[in-house]
Amino acid sequence: MTGLSTRAARTIVVAALCASVNRAAAQTPTGRIVSAANVFLATLDPTQRKSVSFAFDDEQQRARWSNFPQGIFKRAGLPMGELNPTQRSAAMALVSAALSKRGFEKIQQIVDADEVLKTTDGNGRLLFGKDLYYVSILGTPSEKTPWMVQFGGHHLALNITIAGERGILTPSLSGAQPALYTANGKTVRPLGQESDKALALLNSLDSTQRSQAILKYRVADLVLGPGQDGKTIQPEGLKASAMDETQRAMLVDVIAEWTGIVHESAAAGRMNEVKTGLGETWFAWSGPTTATPGRNITAYYRIQGPNLVIEYAPQQMGGDPSNHIHTIYRDPTNDYGRKVTGR
Amino acid sequence: MNAHRVDEYLQATTIAVAKDRVQAEIHLTPGIQVFPVVLAVIDTNRDGAISVAEQRAYVARVLHDVSLRVDGGRLTLRLISSKFPAIDELQEGRGAIQIDLEATIPGGGPERTLAFENHHMTRIGVYLVNGLVPTDPDIHYRLQSRNYEQSRYQLEYVQAWVAADPSWFSWWPGPIGVFTIAVLLTVARLMRSRRHAHVAT
Repeated sequence: MTGLSTRAARTIVVAALCASVNRAAAQTPTGRIVSAANVFLATLDPTQRKSVSFAFDDEQQRARWSNFPQGIFKRAGLPMGELNPTQRSAAMALVSAALSKRGFEKIQQIVDADEVLKTTDGNGRLLFGKDLYYVSILGTPSEKTPWMVQFGGHHLALNITIAGERGILTPSLSGAQPALYTANGKTVRPLGQESDKALALLNSLDSTQRSQAILKYRVADLVLGPGQDGKTIQPEGLKASAMDETQRAMLVDVIAEWTGIVHESAAAGRMNEVKTGLGETWFAWSGPTTATPGRNITAYYRIQGPNLVIEYAPQQMGGDPSNHIHTIYRDPTNDYGRKVTGR
Repeated sequence: MNAHRVDEYLQATTIAVAKDRVQAEIHLTPGIQVFPVVLAVIDTNRDGAISVAEQRAYVARVLHDVSLRVDGGRLTLRLISSKFPAIDELQEGRGAIQIDLEATIPGGGPERTLAFENHHMTRIGVYLVNGLVPTDPDIHYRLQSRNYEQSRYQLEYVQAWVAADPSWFSWWPGPIGVFTIAVLLTVARLMRSRRHAHVAT
């Protein structure tokens, strides 16, 4: 393709993007996501489209996610580094359409943290940085038929099932290393709210409640992390029904850090589900009960309800655990949207 | 900073309880610094590869180092399956050896206590152990307890509609038996009183 025709093609794609965005303004959230997906697919050549596309019920691709960086974990789909600027913008527009404003900001901060890590720790087979985040589409983007978008890399795995107006984000993994860094003169903690809000909840408990919430044993890692699909462990800790209204509101606020990653209307529906089972939701804590101001906790915690599992697990791994976090977010009744899609 | 486990040997177990059996799924993930220690135990001929025979021997060692008891009685563990990842995956701290075990639970009363212990490579081991929510609606967990390291775990549970332990209640006939005995006794008493009445006349 000549330079002129490449520019012309890019202009057409950008025009299509703009037109699509204008159309999207009048669309439902699912309509906007479908439009963004189709625009992204339109920017790809046939080989790239083949690489990014999978069958909706491709179980191997569904489960092909990890906290590990590229190099020691093999992802499939299209890496950002292999996309041209237009394709990359369209890919990120798709991810953005599926997420809330705050959710997308959080995901960008996680990716930016990996870019920081690239400058400090990239070596050998451990590969870091923005270019190594993969996008994949399972099924055909549709406002009616279920399909899925995956976006992930080191410390990030978003599995977003779109089924009609439902947007299901489980299972998803979010993490950060470094979990505290400076960008443009500002301190960034991608998972800072997850840390601070949970500690505030713990500190709001009275001594009887704390004795139930605080586990008497060490939890060294995520229990239901990657590769642990389909398991439901026995809940432990303090039940939300034993909390007062203020504490329950604080618990909901912690949970919202995960349920609120997906776009706003899907997040609202999901929060309604969580609140329905709130009385049967448990909060458990293991580890130090204080944190240095401005830094993350070094304790593990878990929130588990009838349709919810959240784990927050600082990683020892030879460094400061407050600066290396793994979290997992699941719905044991509806991971990958199985309850809704039946597949 | 590291992207993977470093100086610990993570040993995560989930336990699934049914009325007549218990299954344990163990995931063993060596950190990159302790991998040579773990490999030395597995790769006994030091050829840098893990043969099928070495896999079997290592699984046998793990089976020896863990125990499952119900109501104090040690259960015989049976290997269901084991999976070993490629050696470079283990070396990089991203691979987990998976061992699935099973044991038969002997009959007993409705209130039961299951205990799991893991003493495998304790110098470098860190442990996780959790009971999976039972799929059998008749089984209800009462209490899970562990030591700080999670190398010892105890689960107290109740099973409804369980066949009574024969060693304690083998003589007990159950409600139908009680009813039958009551009917037979009544019939016998009636016949005796009728016989007495006949003798008197």
